[in-house]
Amino acid sequence: MTPAHPYADAGLQVQPEVLLVDDDEVNLLLTELALRERGFRIAGASSGEQALALLRDWTPDIVVLDALMPGMDGFDTCRALRRLPGHENVPVLMLTGLDDDASITRAYQAGATDFFVKATQWGLLAGRLHYLLRASRTRIELERSKFKLARAQDLARMGSFDWWRSERGDAAGLVMSPEALRVFGYGPHEAVGLRTLLRMVPHDDRRGFLRLLHEALRHASVVATDVPIVLLDGRQRIIHVEAEPEFNEHGHGVGYAGIVQDVTDRRVAEDKIRQLANFDALTGLPNRRQLIWRAERALEQARRMGHQFALLLIDLDRFKIINDTLGHGAGDEALVEVGRRLRACVRHSEQVMEGALEAAGVRSHRSLEAVGRLGGDEFVALLPEVAAEEDAERVAQRVLETLREPIFVGGQECFVTASVGVALYPRDGASVVDLLRNSDVAMYSVKVQGKNSSAIYSPQLAGRGREKLELETALHKAIERDELVLHYQPKIDVRAARMVGAEALMRWQRGGRLVPPGDFIPLAEDTGLIVPLSEWALREAAKQARVWQQAFGFAESIAVNLPSRLFERSDLVEHIHQCVTAVTVPHRMIQLEITEDNLMKDLQNVIPSLHRLNEIGVEISIDDFGTGYSSLAYLTTLPISELKVDRSFVRDLGVTPQSSAVVTAIIALARSLGLRVVAEGVETLRQMEVLHRLGCGVMQGFLFSRAVPADDLQRWLESTVLPRKAPWIGRASGSDPGTDAHRAAGGRQYR
Amino acid sequence: MTLESSGPDAPHGGNAPLATLDAAALARLRELDPDGRHGVLTRVLAAFETSLARMLVQLRAELGAGDPGVVAGVAHTLKSSSASVGALALAASCAAVERRLRSGAPGDLHADVERLVSDGEAALRAVGAMLRP
Repeated sequence: MTPAHPYADAGLQVQPEVLLVDDDEVNLLLTELALRERGFRIAGASSGEQALALLRDWTPDIVVLDALMPGMDGFDTCRALRRLPGHENVPVLMLTGLDDDASITRAYQAGATDFFVKATQWGLLAGRLHYLLRASRTRIELERSKFKLARAQDLARMGSFDWWRSERGDAAGLVMSPEALRVFGYGPHEAVGLRTLLRMVPHDDRRGFLRLLHEALRHASVVATDVPIVLLDGRQRIIHVEAEPEFNEHGHGVGYAGIVQDVTDRRVAEDKIRQLANFDALTGLPNRRQLIWRAERALEQARRMGHQFALLLIDLDRFKIINDTLGHGAGDEALVEVGRRLRACVRHSEQVMEGALEAAGVRSHRSLEAVGRLGGDEFVALLPEVAAEEDAERVAQRVLETLREPIFVGGQECFVTASVGVALYPRDGASVVDLLRNSDVAMYSVKVQGKNSSAIYSPQLAGRGREKLELETALHKAIERDELVLHYQPKIDVRAARMVGAEALMRWQRGGRLVPPGDFIPLAEDTGLIVPLSEWALREAAKQARVWQQAFGFAESIAVNLPSRLFERSDLVEHIHQCVTAVTVPHRMIQLEITEDNLMKDLQNVIPSLHRLNEIGVEISIDDFGTGYSSLAYLTTLPISELKVDRSFVRDLGVTPQSSAVVTAIIALARSLGLRVVAEGVETLRQMEVLHRLGCGVMQGFLFSRAVPADDLQRWLESTVLPRKAPWIGRASGSDPGTDAHRAAGGRQYR
Repeated sequence: MTLESSGPDAPHGGNAPLATLDAAALARLRELDPDGRHGVLTRVLAAFETSLARMLVQLRAELGAGDPGVVAGVAHTLKSSSASVGALALAASCAAVERRLRSGAPGDLHADVERLVSDGEAALRAVGAMLRP
């Protein structure tokens, strides 16, 4: 026996099992011996019947059948064998006579794998058997991998096809694998032609697809494209087609071999991702990323074609109020509605096909036009081509107009207005970033000037930008966050050396830093925030009056500065009333200061308030007196109690003779009208002495104390004023007390 | 090498000279089992003897009204096995008979059967002599 067989290969470690069927026992025996010698395991059967009996519970690797046998011959046996389950693919070698052509044909018809001439050349027979075994294994592997491929294709909703073009009278043809047929919704054996498949492509897409196919065919190039189809049941799918040309021996393209794949799910997922990446989930509008992408494209086009394009930054006014009062759900509803309305203000294009821009010709940039949401309550309108700034201005007006209708959210009507800033390429910026920033600057200028309007960017607007808006937002939150505090500066009766009142001054502790009033009061006035701020100050001052009253018998008043617009409010009196009664102090412990400018600007509107305030005991003091253009006639009729000499005159006392003349005049005026006079900004003993000599005995200034927290003021009183330790105490006591009888002067001494 | 007596003109009957088996064929059989360990030669000859004896019975039954199909079948089977053991005269007769019968016109079947029986008996004797010297 030969241990290493020349035909042995990796798959042939065990001895192949052979069923040998021959009615001639001599031959059976000889063949058996010869094959066993060559490494086969043999089972012999001397008739077809006997062979089939053996096969009922055994499957050999190969069957060798004598063709001519009495009774059931080899052909019958082979046919019967093929019908046995599990034996469909067993290789069968039919042995025939050398001169027996008819048998060869019959052998194949009966299902034999191969034939061999009966002879005693065993080596040849063994070689043939090995060959058949190997072919059989290859075939099994092929079947298995075909099955795997079919399964994989099925899972991937993929199938393969072959198409050949008509040639020399032969018709063109298409053969699709069962999996490919399934992709198109057909059964595995249905005959489907290319024409039928093309009809499944929706009409609008068919022309383009056909053009693509013809183009590919003409250049014998690769086809790789996605095409939408509608299945017979009406379902819409997207099919990916990928095919490679096949060539004949002359190098002529004769057809295509390729695959089709249902990529609908993938496309849907891709679209979803693209949607999420490029569109705002709330309003469905293009998001910041998509807007910037579009703006960049618009800019490229505008640069190339030499036209202008415009960016409109649309910021909703006081949108926070809706969120705060109606809740975020209502706020979101409002944003959706605003988005819907804004979309109608432009020729909004939902989608821009990437790559379509170049293809669609000169006017393609029109498809970039859109309204998008930058975030929060900020929207942008992109106008890819404008002839002049008036075009953009018209759209801005349309935006303002569309928002004029109330929005119904959270069960009630709201009014949402917007501030619109416009920037034009190339005039207002050479990049999208610049244009966005400058439209923001223009938008902010609208905010400052009272909102609900639009503005076109101009370089003069720059520099008054974002920071102020941020400051506004922060200031808005300052009250809730308790960042505001009142500091107090004492009013001093220098002759008596005692405190006869205090002025409350607002301070903002923002992130560990004290923001000076000059940095936020004008802003608060611009934005209207001054109203809640002032109301807070009144409340706070009343509380402090109560605290001091209890701590050291404070009985005078705390002065709060109010802008004129607060006096215009009909509820001011009511508000003050609530503030003082809440802490049970008398109304007169709150004094109001209004600047001369403010007073004169809105005199007619302010007067009624002044009277009512006076009636309930709240005194009014005119701040910064001497700087405005007071009508002295009015002054005589106004219900006011005090004039405060502006610090600029005090500063120049003893420096310019004019200042002492003004101060003298003010004091004389006050005296004739029966008003108190308070000098502000007193910093030196010299100024104090001059003022006192001129007849003004009540002063404020650094000489005495700067504005300090309430507790510090109390400590200062206790450590400096009461022990009479300060340098200014006593300096004025010897001089003429004057006649400016301070009404509070008769008040009790503290302690 | 064939025996002279196995020619077509050879006399029939029990007094025919003893036929021998072809040496070359026997040598091939021995090659299958060079050291004789498996008794291949004996087993093959015994199998041939058994099968030949059975077929001779079948052939004699066809001496009357012969069935060409049965005769052709026997001739086919005997053709290869007789060649294998070296009974070349019988193998040649089988081939001739099979060829003639398959050509379509059976004609005188009797002569064919007689010839096969005669050659078969000669071969049977030769095998018997080999197995039981």
